[in-house]
Amino acid sequence: MKLKNLELRHFRNYEKINVNFSDGINVLIGNNAQGKTNLLEAIYVLALARSHRTRNNRDLINWKYENAQMKGRVSKAYADTDLELDLDRSGKRAKVNHIEQAKLSSYVGQLNVILFSPEDLSIVKGSPSVRRKFMDMEFGQISGQYLYNLSHYQRILEQRNRYLKQLYYRKAHDRLFLDVLSDQLSAFGAEIIHQRIQLLAGLEKSARQIHWDISLHKEKLKFRYVTALKDKDLTSTNHIYECLRALYKKNRNREIKQRTTILGPHRDDIHFIVNGKNVQTFGSQGQQRTTTLSVKLAEIDLMKSETNEAPILLLDDVLSELDGNRQTHLLKAIQDKVQTFLTTTSLSGITKKLIDNPKVFKISNGKITID
Amino acid sequence: MQYPEPLAKLIDSYMRLPGIGHKTAIRLAYFTVGMNKDDVKNFADALVSTKDKLKFCSICGNLTEEDPCEICRDPNRDRSKILVVEQSKDVMVMEQMKNYKGLYHVLHGVLSPIEGKGPEELNIKSLIKRLQKNESVNEVIIATNATPEGEATAMYLSKLIKPAGIKVTRLAHGLSVGSDIEYADNMTLYRAIKGRTQM
Ligand SMILES: Nc1ncnc2c1ncn2[C@@H]1O[C@H](COP(=O)(O)OP(=O)(O)OP(=O)(O)O)[C@@H](O)[C@H]1O
Ligand SMILES: [Mg+2]
Ligand SMILES: [Zn+2]
Repeated sequence: MKLKNLELRHFRNYEKINVNFSDGINVLIGNNAQGKTNLLEAIYVLALARSHRTRNNRDLINWKYENAQMKGRVSKAYADTDLELDLDRSGKRAKVNHIEQAKLSSYVGQLNVILFSPEDLSIVKGSPSVRRKFMDMEFGQISGQYLYNLSHYQRILEQRNRYLKQLYYRKAHDRLFLDVLSDQLSAFGAEIIHQRIQLLAGLEKSARQIHWDISLHKEKLKFRYVTALKDKDLTSTNHIYECLRALYKKNRNREIKQRTTILGPHRDDIHFIVNGKNVQTFGSQGQQRTTTLSVKLAEIDLMKSETNEAPILLLDDVLSELDGNRQTHLLKAIQDKVQTFLTTTSLSGITKKLIDNPKVFKISNGKITID
Repeated sequence: MQYPEPLAKLIDSYMRLPGIGHKTAIRLAYFTVGMNKDDVKNFADALVSTKDKLKFCSICGNLTEEDPCEICRDPNRDRSKILVVEQSKDVMVMEQMKNYKGLYHVLHGVLSPIEGKGPEELNIKSLIKRLQKNESVNEVIIATNATPEGEATAMYLSKLIKPAGIKVTRLAHGLSVGSDIEYADNMTLYRAIKGRTQM
């Protein structure tokens, strides 16, 4: 898919812009604090109806105004789709082809994006919650079913944690109801774990090849889904369900004592293993960067195979951070396949090949000019 | 300038109703001032009698003027079935369908620890007592909404009731996930009741 056109009104430091993009590589060049990341963020928000930088709508609306509008035309293999998002301080309204969508889940997924910024290194280096968020964001874009299971799981988890607290403080006493909540949580948890494992397997397949190539055939990348369940229990949703139930039963008193649900997909993690060692703890900076890049580039393949459309790639300040070899592999992954938006303060240090035929936009204080 | 006290109190009262904000409350209050006295009096009486004259049926928990309620007293109803709903208003919706002839039980909510509603806070004990006392009941149909909390409530009830050898079924077909019974049309409910599943 391609983003053909973007219209913004009162988004961040933009007053009013209307830009047509190239299907290939779009370079956003400008000094610091001019609005480059803001523009990438706009594309991200248009796709996911939420920002990667803030949870607060207010931050997205230009300080001088009460609301913001964004419109984009997305072209896919068979048809064009018009997306529109109106933001005010309390909420958002989303339209697909000019029809308002009651549920955000029917809006998200129309435009698929992958964002790559220097902070993404924390997918490898950061805490497990970063990796869970990574899975939930990516898999939620790919699968409406995943998003549905996740929101139910989170709701039931909240109920169960509250009930554990009430049991602990003896404000509640009914163990049968705790069993019901455990069963319910196990049912949705099993769906999520099963989907994660399947989607991760697809992601791993591409990431392994990319990592192998970047490392000049020296490093083997593997993923391990880390969970309280044993490998042999992960074969089917039903099996996972039964094992989760058994674990909740076994840990019941411990959970009441700790007043919270101590196991389930909300506690799981991924380990990235390079040549048999966990790269988070044992990897060099370079290995960690290669892993991050491989995982990110593998996302392109995964989205393509799951949705039949290549996503849009947003690269925020990452290019100048990659050495020539890694830039070349990035190029290989996106060339002629993926519409790309990249920000940079200068073109020096970027492989000539990569910006062979780009459309260059100069960004200065919320204004865009075509170079 | 301030609103004269009676008007201010009326505005404040209207604002306690769900979905009514400040502006609407002011509009309604001024409208009330313009109504004729008899209408206002009837309105006030109707409000007060909802509190004075209505009570919950001691058998099924439904809202009623007389205890036991009309349905529990009706000798022509099928006493082998009890349909369990969240709210009194769900009973009205079911009754308008004119197809169900059994009895009801109103829970007054769903299980939701976040809202401080555990099994003890719902009208569940009296359901169990009812089943223990009346051997004639052979089916309990659970018609809670298809929300996570409605599902949890249904699962809980079925675990509680099934060991006594009573058939427990769940209204499922036709009702879309996350929907409220209140908004379902009669045809959907009809299909739902025909296609209920055993738990
Ligand atoms: N809601 C808003 N309304 C108006 N201006 C805003 C708003 N939010 C952020 N800005 C301004 O946008 C600018 C930051 O833009 P952005 O993050 O896109 O910079 P950048 O071009 O990516 O810079 P860098 O190269 O340093 O990353 C800041 O000057 C900030 O004051
Ligand atoms: Mg920036
Ligand atoms: Zn009654």
